[in-house]
Amino acid sequence: MAPTNGLRWACRSLALVFLALAGCAGAPRFEAPLDSTIELRDVPFFPQTDYQCGPAALATILSYEGVPVTPDDLTAAVYIEGLRGSLQAELLAATRRHGLVPYTLERRPEALFAALESGKPVLVLQNLGFDRFPVWHYAVVVGYDAERETVLLRSGTEHRRKERLGRFLKSWRRGDYWAFVTADPANPPKSAKADRWIRALADAERVLPRTTMSSAYAAARARWPDDPLVLYASAVHDGANGRWEDSARGYLALLAIEPRHAAARNNLANMLAEGGCIESALREAKLALATIDASSPIREAIEDTVASMERLAGENAEEPPHCAALSAVPPPAAERS
Amino acid sequence: MRRRRIGPFVLLLSAMLTAPLQSTAYAGVIGTEQYLATLDRQQALQRIDAVLAREEVRERLVALGVDPEDAIERAAALSDAELLALAENLETLPAGGDLLGLLGVVFVVLLVLELVGVTNIFNKI
Repeated sequence: MAPTNGLRWACRSLALVFLALAGCAGAPRFEAPLDSTIELRDVPFFPQTDYQCGPAALATILSYEGVPVTPDDLTAAVYIEGLRGSLQAELLAATRRHGLVPYTLERRPEALFAALESGKPVLVLQNLGFDRFPVWHYAVVVGYDAERETVLLRSGTEHRRKERLGRFLKSWRRGDYWAFVTADPANPPKSAKADRWIRALADAERVLPRTTMSSAYAAARARWPDDPLVLYASAVHDGANGRWEDSARGYLALLAIEPRHAAARNNLANMLAEGGCIESALREAKLALATIDASSPIREAIEDTVASMERLAGENAEEPPHCAALSAVPPPAAERS
Repeated sequence: MRRRRIGPFVLLLSAMLTAPLQSTAYAGVIGTEQYLATLDRQQALQRIDAVLAREEVRERLVALGVDPEDAIERAAALSDAELLALAENLETLPAGGDLLGLLGVVFVVLLVLELVGVTNIFNKI
């Protein structure tokens, strides 16, 4: 490179650096996240080789959950040569392929420290560069030293990297506070929220075995027995696996809590029809249609259900006796049209 | 040429992978992923494209140097929402990778300081 070229290149880079600096001033100060020091000493360490922080960080958290993998095993699942790195979504996908559920945390520091406190190492995306000149890096948070206000990480080639809290939070904030933990499907993280966990399970459903998913939903119901989304997803799963009666009872429990839940009532109608309760099914389908907004994206599905129940009602007359025990709480009268 | 020929098989494979999830005697059940998507209007509108997105993502991974067989399995493990995000802007999403890039930044800064005469590191080496 000719000297003048080099100089021009350097000046342009300098300008870029200053532009980037201007863009990232004023990180909010986050007060002491935890009162006491915590360190998950048993989290293994895999020093990364060139560009391989994705596989290394992922192997770290998967191994800690008892999956015997090394970064080399994961390269074919997450590394992209053309980008010299790994994408966030692919780390989540690879976690599913190893039989675990990736749970992405809420994008705020409190969520990270709550997960850490509950005993989970946290995989984070850091931007070690600047907003406009990013250097993306994955690392695993394994501890927090309350006295020195430092975050402890497995990072790159460092087994126990110490980063000052403020500095860590800045680099993590430039990664949009993205972080996730992994969990056994039947054992949601202690710090998990019901709806986030259900989203994580639903996203894993196409990859994990059915029996695994069944115990996962059973565990979610045990943990959050009254959560509408837990009841819904669990009932959908039962229905898709031939357990129409369990499924129907799930929707009944949900409708007892939320009588206006049109999607649940629609699905209940389908399950009742599967159990031969056509008359009840038609009644529930019509009630579902009466409680749904005209603009709702699921209105069409409900109209289809009503149509198919009307067709079936013409053929069958008598309902089997078990249908009597499967009637749902109706929606509030004022809201029916 | 090679990519074109395996395309139909991939579509068939993804159809086979997703089909069992929707197998119920009555097709009117609103699945969890679909229900969750209705809570997010934008995603609901895009939902229909998930199968196409899976193929798109697979092709882009192969173009970026991923083994074609691996790419099929990798695309199959992504959720609908993840597929749509990747199909839209795979190349510009954060790809966590290197600390070598960081060394690059440090080098540039040192070089600039050197060139403008603040430091003399490189003369001493």
